[in-house]
Amino acid sequence: MNTLANLFFENAVLYPDKTAIWCDNESITYSELADLISQYSNYLLAHGIAYRDHIGIPMNNSIESVALILTAANLGVALVPINPTLPLDAIKTAFAFGDVKHLMARRIFFEECERLGGLNVDGRKFCLDYEYESTLPLADALKMSTERPIISEVSGDETLIITMTSGSTGSPKPIDLTQNNKYQRAMAHISLYNITKEDNILAATPLYHSLAERLVLIPLLIGGTSVLLPRFSPNIWLNCVKDFQVTFTIAVSAQLSQIAELLSSPFIPKIHSLRSVVSSSALLEPHVKSELIEKLKCDFHEMYGTSETSTVTNINFKQSLNQKQSVGRPLPEADLRILRKNGELAKTNEIGEIACRTSLMCNGYYGMPEIFDKALKDGYFKTGDMGYLDEDGFLYFSGRKKELIITGGINIYPFDVENCVSKIPEVSECAAFAYPDERLGEVVAVAVVIKENCTLNKRTIQVQCARNLADFQQPHKIFFVDELPKNAMGKLVKFKLMEYVRLNCLNE
Amino acid sequence: MNVSDFILNRLQKKYTIDKNIDIDTLNYVENGYVDSLGIIQFVIEIEDQFGIQFTDQEVIDPSFKIVGGLIKLVERKMMSNEKS
Repeated sequence: MNTLANLFFENAVLYPDKTAIWCDNESITYSELADLISQYSNYLLAHGIAYRDHIGIPMNNSIESVALILTAANLGVALVPINPTLPLDAIKTAFAFGDVKHLMARRIFFEECERLGGLNVDGRKFCLDYEYESTLPLADALKMSTERPIISEVSGDETLIITMTSGSTGSPKPIDLTQNNKYQRAMAHISLYNITKEDNILAATPLYHSLAERLVLIPLLIGGTSVLLPRFSPNIWLNCVKDFQVTFTIAVSAQLSQIAELLSSPFIPKIHSLRSVVSSSALLEPHVKSELIEKLKCDFHEMYGTSETSTVTNINFKQSLNQKQSVGRPLPEADLRILRKNGELAKTNEIGEIACRTSLMCNGYYGMPEIFDKALKDGYFKTGDMGYLDEDGFLYFSGRKKELIITGGINIYPFDVENCVSKIPEVSECAAFAYPDERLGEVVAVAVVIKENCTLNKRTIQVQCARNLADFQQPHKIFFVDELPKNAMGKLVKFKLMEYVRLNCLNE
Repeated sequence: MNVSDFILNRLQKKYTIDKNIDIDTLNYVENGYVDSLGIIQFVIEIEDQFGIQFTDQEVIDPSFKIVGGLIKLVERKMMSNEKS
């Protein structure tokens, strides 16, 4: 197959002066980006980075980060991108599971790590901005040759990205995405949404998630323009869409709720350029959808998928007028099954676990083939989500089997929050659960039982979480309860927690 | 670490603030340096670092979201802590 780097470099020859990426008031043309990728490649080779090495990178949204993804593709090395706000323990776990040898980070990250006791990375360390003791400044790469080094081994089946399922300190699942995976996923979306080189495609989520990686790769593989939002706020999003005539984007539903809110206020510029917007991660409220369609005047799709399978189903809002609340039909690449608890196939309209076979499937969990095998049933990946198929093959999402809180499109494992809170000596037991939130879909709530004869205030819990959890894992609601709801076997009944705190904590 | 350095470091954990931006008047919420997911941790970390506690009124005030306003507020609260 054509490798990602080959495809990009071909486009650089065809459209040298076209803008490849815009990000944060800076832009780069195809030929300049090709030069940068070659310089980065030569620099990394000169410092001993070898084919199939893994590089950990707390990634932010920048032209340099995109260039590094393509540099990794060019050299056949893998990146393990992480959220820079993860607590040090979670970073250590992620890097251990991702088999990280080298590290690339901003100076502020190195300083923070050193302050907290350091990271064990044996290979090379590169500083992405400025200079920092015992690291190599990436800026020096600009002194290297702009001739592209070709690594003959690169075939496309190399791991390109290892992405962790949430910031779990327990046992994250490192999702292995090869260059072929990324290529096929990009091509499937290009065909699904009729994307062409004329499109200006906006990526507005963090680059350490696979959605933004896909959105920046899509235009660069076909000669389009990537518009990369440096940070998300509804204002920045709208201005960016307007200023750069964005035509296509996939956003997470929590972002779209905030954008719809802003669009309903006066003095908002009119947006004419968008031809298609896709909402991912959770179903949008119908009034939010209507507001967006009215104000953005474009096609509106919703999709369902997981990091392991990529997009599984898609629906155009025009269809969904008749198929209310469906997440759509499977992509041509995918096939769906609904499974009963005993593994048998469920009937039409019967709720069961959503399972999917797809040519877009990831390469497995890195270093954990047996765990990935367990998640498969006859080649169908069991998503942990519950749903049903109707007579016409439309999928309806009805909940999650996995214990998971999804806030602003990011998955959080309640265990991580519970583990942190239960370390407070005064806590007898606690349970983290999803609490509905208009802007973020769900936020983290925690119900806490205090040990007898002890006192504890919310602030102690907040400080403990601020010190030991990532920003997205912070509890937004804290409830003190006398006991947690349990069944006859003494097992915590999580789905009752929401009702339980409503009844028992009316004043919170 | 002084108040200004701590807040600027914390704001740049994810994204570097452009050198040309007037930091004093920067609205860090509107400009996405702290988002709705991160705001709770941001506030608690400042309180934890400087041994202060913001009132609800202070957090709601528009000046709380401006870097210069926030720095002044923290310094003011630290001074009144020292006096009391």
